[in-house]
Amino acid sequence: MKMVRRREKILFIFVGVFAILFLFPVVWMFLTSIRTTQDLYKYPPTLIPHALTLENFVYIFTEMGGFIRYVVNSLVVTISTVLIVLVSSAMGGYAFGMRKFRGQNIMFMLVVGVLTIPYIMYLIPIFLMEYEIGLQNTWLGLIFPYVALNLPWGLLIMRGAFSTIPLDIRDAAIIDGCTEIQMWRRILVPINRPALAATTIITFVFAWQEYMFASTLMTKNEWQTLPVGIVWLRDELQTLVMGRVGAMVIVTILPVLILFFIFRDFFIEGLSEGMLKG
Amino acid sequence: MKQLTKNSLRDRLNLAFFLFPTMLFVVIFIAFPVIFSGYLSLTEFNYASDPAPKFIGIKGYIDMVRNDIFFHTALYNQMRFAVAYFLIAFAVSLVLAIFVNELQRGVQVFQVIFYMPMIVPMSLVGITFAWILSPDLGIFNHMLRLLGLGHITHDWYGEPSTALNSLVLARTWKMIGFTLIIFLAGLQGISKSLKESARVDGANFFQEIVFIVLPNLKPYMLIGGIWILINSLKVFVLPQVITQGGPGSATLTLYLYSWKLAFERLHMGEASQVAYLTAFIILFFTWILNLIFKPETAQKG
Repeated sequence: MKMVRRREKILFIFVGVFAILFLFPVVWMFLTSIRTTQDLYKYPPTLIPHALTLENFVYIFTEMGGFIRYVVNSLVVTISTVLIVLVSSAMGGYAFGMRKFRGQNIMFMLVVGVLTIPYIMYLIPIFLMEYEIGLQNTWLGLIFPYVALNLPWGLLIMRGAFSTIPLDIRDAAIIDGCTEIQMWRRILVPINRPALAATTIITFVFAWQEYMFASTLMTKNEWQTLPVGIVWLRDELQTLVMGRVGAMVIVTILPVLILFFIFRDFFIEGLSEGMLKG
Repeated sequence: MKQLTKNSLRDRLNLAFFLFPTMLFVVIFIAFPVIFSGYLSLTEFNYASDPAPKFIGIKGYIDMVRNDIFFHTALYNQMRFAVAYFLIAFAVSLVLAIFVNELQRGVQVFQVIFYMPMIVPMSLVGITFAWILSPDLGIFNHMLRLLGLGHITHDWYGEPSTALNSLVLARTWKMIGFTLIIFLAGLQGISKSLKESARVDGANFFQEIVFIVLPNLKPYMLIGGIWILINSLKVFVLPQVITQGGPGSATLTLYLYSWKLAFERLHMGEASQVAYLTAFIILFFTWILNLIFKPETAQKG
């Protein structure tokens, strides 16, 4: 028993050191964001800040109009994408999970099969298409592809949830005089709240992080989202000091990190569900 | 039930209503693009000079595979990246999962810490690592100097010899949490009594891992392995944000080359060829991994 306890202590220290190293990049970005410019650009660099300041955060919200624009773009695109995916996948999930129709299985296999296709294969045609019809540099130009890329995940999760509901519930509701659509909206969708939450998390995390489509389709700076715009500012503005970049990074990830720590089981389960299946 | 008469018009309309949004998005933004880029890959299509694609069949593919030096470089870099990333990500998440699983306390906390980078946007991971590993003001080189290891400091992303491996490091940090969770789930399914009986028989920790834990973990290793493998071949954001494929073309990956062909040179045909070839490579390796790790259900008993 003593041996086992000693072994656990060693393992604990090993894992603990690794965990500290793992936290370091985020902690370091945070420390960068609360330092003064002189402190940051002094050689040699120091681990511990000499003077703390919130000046970087004030600056990015008051002096940099572009940054607020990115926040707005990211919020609009992410929230719209999530809402459309939720509604569409709840509708499709019901059709595939509780209805029977010809070609059902093949159709479902095709829709879910696209999950294995690398995103780069969509990018060029979508770029050309959006260029021709003028969807580039609009919110919808990002929302539509994001919905399409997340819908198969949502559909997979929602079909699974709907197919566990006993058909009796549906039939009882229809005998009571509900139309099919009323029954779906008032009875079936509320039952599937956990699956909707998982779909929300997968889609939200995707849309909040996405870089390749956003950087390609949004060719004008004022339409870019946070992950793209911050990189653009870092590359284009020679005068931009690292403290401000750090502040922008922290503002982008902190709300999500807080949500993650509060709803950690939800996040881990939801995200894992989305990434495993298929 | 009688109420849902199968073929009434109303019933069909309802079904169409429920399927409509899915079909709309999938057809326009998924099916059409995949087919269209397949067609583009069989054409010569310079979007800047000539707005109409010219059909050339598989000649483009042959030219690409045989003669395109940048494609060869990108393929080579991609394979080097994939091997390094696969080995490191697989080994680290497996070892960490086994260790975390042995702990009595703190399992939840460690799980959250290791999973946390999964929700940091990849491009911001790029900015963060570029800053930490920057040559003069970067804290990593500074720590090395403090530890008396000044001679191994590098311009990590600026030198061809270290750039690719430094990208592997950043990606491992970002992605490892997911496989850790998969492996932990598998480990928790291995019964305590199985391990205890091995311990009673005199097995040490190492033997216990090799003979009890790893064989039982095989299906989870397959899932985790496939996931790491697929991710090891889709590398775009980090080289784009940190190195732009440089220095020289030391970090030019297949995804990045396809993107540069399409959106810097507007050679849409060639770019689609690279995209399709990448997809074939991914499918091929997934198939290989499936063969290696096929769960041997018949072997037991």
